[in-house]
Amino acid sequence: MEANEKVTMKNSDTCRDQKVPSGMIGSAAGALAAVAVFMQACKKEQVGLYELNDLALVGSAADKNKLKTNQQFVSILYTNLFQSGIASSDVFEIDRLFQSIGDSELSREVLISNFFNDSGVQLPAVADMNNDPDAFIEETYKRFFVRLPNEAEKTWIRNFIQSNPYMTPELVYFAFALSNEYQYY
Amino acid sequence: MKRREFIKKTALTTAGALAAPYILPSGRLFAPTGSRSSQHVVFVMFAGGVRHQESVGMRYLEDSQVGDPYPGNIMYNMLTGDAPTMKIAYGTGEGGINPIPQLSHFSQFGSLQSQGTLFNEVASLSSGHFGGLNTLIQGADIAGQGLKQRPLNPTIFEYLRRHGGYKATDVWFVGNGIDGSTPLLNYSGNPDYGIKYGANFIAPTVTFDAPGFQHFSNAKIYHPENELSPMYAMKAFLDNSFAQYGGALNAIGNTEEEKQQIKAFMNLMYDKVQNGTIMLPPVFDNGDAITVGFAAEVMKEFKPAFLCVNLSNVDVCHSNFTSYVQAMHRADHSVGFLWDFIQSDPDLAGNTDIICIPECGRNSDPNSILDENSWRAYDHNGDDLNSYRVWSLMAGPSFQAGLSLGSEGSPLGMVTDAMLTAADILGIKNEVAGAGFLHPDTLSFLDRI
Repeated sequence: MEANEKVTMKNSDTCRDQKVPSGMIGSAAGALAAVAVFMQACKKEQVGLYELNDLALVGSAADKNKLKTNQQFVSILYTNLFQSGIASSDVFEIDRLFQSIGDSELSREVLISNFFNDSGVQLPAVADMNNDPDAFIEETYKRFFVRLPNEAEKTWIRNFIQSNPYMTPELVYFAFALSNEYQYY
Repeated sequence: MKRREFIKKTALTTAGALAAPYILPSGRLFAPTGSRSSQHVVFVMFAGGVRHQESVGMRYLEDSQVGDPYPGNIMYNMLTGDAPTMKIAYGTGEGGINPIPQLSHFSQFGSLQSQGTLFNEVASLSSGHFGGLNTLIQGADIAGQGLKQRPLNPTIFEYLRRHGGYKATDVWFVGNGIDGSTPLLNYSGNPDYGIKYGANFIAPTVTFDAPGFQHFSNAKIYHPENELSPMYAMKAFLDNSFAQYGGALNAIGNTEEEKQQIKAFMNLMYDKVQNGTIMLPPVFDNGDAITVGFAAEVMKEFKPAFLCVNLSNVDVCHSNFTSYVQAMHRADHSVGFLWDFIQSDPDLAGNTDIICIPECGRNSDPNSILDENSWRAYDHNGDDLNSYRVWSLMAGPSFQAGLSLGSEGSPLGMVTDAMLTAADILGIKNEVAGAGFLHPDTLSFLDRI
């Protein structure tokens, strides 16, 4: 994150030069001392004003090198699909189910297809995907991969969606949730 | 090109083609060197720590409980011998006083022992469960093998898939739960073998329990061509993009067809559990019996070349001897049921071998825990030689019927022999032995006869 600091200087109204009459030497010392103290306390006030520049926060697939645990995968997947958190007891149970099946990829398929049978899953409409595929693709990459697609990825997926009449947001989400990149963070 | 040059080049090309390894559809380079003596092997890890005395020794209470000198065979489906007549506590009902009747198959054809070959005493390499299970599937010494760690050396599953060319659904490991690192046993951490040659593992008492119904039983059905095919195509594109960053993810390698078959099988199991139609032994009041029932379902659906199933309920012997003999009686009943099922399936009968072997024994001396019958419990420790005494019972077309080898106190064979025997039956004994990981004294049981 970058921040630009703009510093403005302003003079304080309370600080002015004082003239001391020459005949008042007796009290001058005390007055000077008081003024000196006063002057010491009077400095030009600096007000820091901070602003944020808009910067796109984009991760990179290259940075993903840690494999999600079953529990991390389930929690993140649920949040991505339902836009809400999953109960910890469900995470525990699903983790045990994953352990009970040797083919983890198959377990993930089964879980995802169960989630898609749940009425609470949050999916874009097919029309939205077809009307503005680029926006849909960008949103999908951000949702699942926490990054933006590069041009090659965007082009391939756009063409694939447009050339496959049966493709739906659900199937696109399914592919993303099953993908290898989604297993990493 | 001159004729002589043409002939020379043609000959070299032909020789090269003949010499080049032939890549089989499974991806392996060479066909197995051995021939199969049967098409299927069921490998029963009769585990949990079985004392020689109460199992193949047929001494019921005689060698374990002071003041109760009552011998007898409580495994009369598997072993030949008379059942106890006194102090019956291993059966069903209040106090376990009703022995489970012998299955009709064995009443008709005799015990499994009479149908096959018994090695009366076999040396175990471990007095612990995980170590023992590892010796059974690796055929290797387990020095350095840690708990919560995948097998250090290749397993029989990986040998079969790599050298035998079996596909993923040909090789199964049906576990009786997910505790004790059981799910780690379906493939090793060996870099030359590993996950891509692993077995399909399932722990049905977990998968098909209540949470399974809640989270896995309502899978949406997708059209294979119109929906699944493009979905997988998009996944492949995403994976290829990620692969350039080294982000590959290895898997057991079920093909899409195999995955669909497994998913259909799971849905069928959920339906059968709901309807109460799972093929279960007549008595199925413990986890071992239920696990064996699901193993039979896997056999029926996939007709695997190799299926390994592990039992463990006898381990209750740490604290309750009565429950131990009850669990052993049920383990015998369950194995009998499995063999009976195999004989009733037209695809499996006559070309399936069964190998049963415990992973370790139990101590000769009891601990101080008394159960409801005032019977003492038994642990299994590394400093008690009785914990290293096991046996092996095998039957099927590869084994001579009615053969009994070795005797108490004169062990013949080792636990590591069991997996090499399976490899022998399925035609890859030389490849397994040649890989160089086996315990040096390991032999196929068939070679010890």
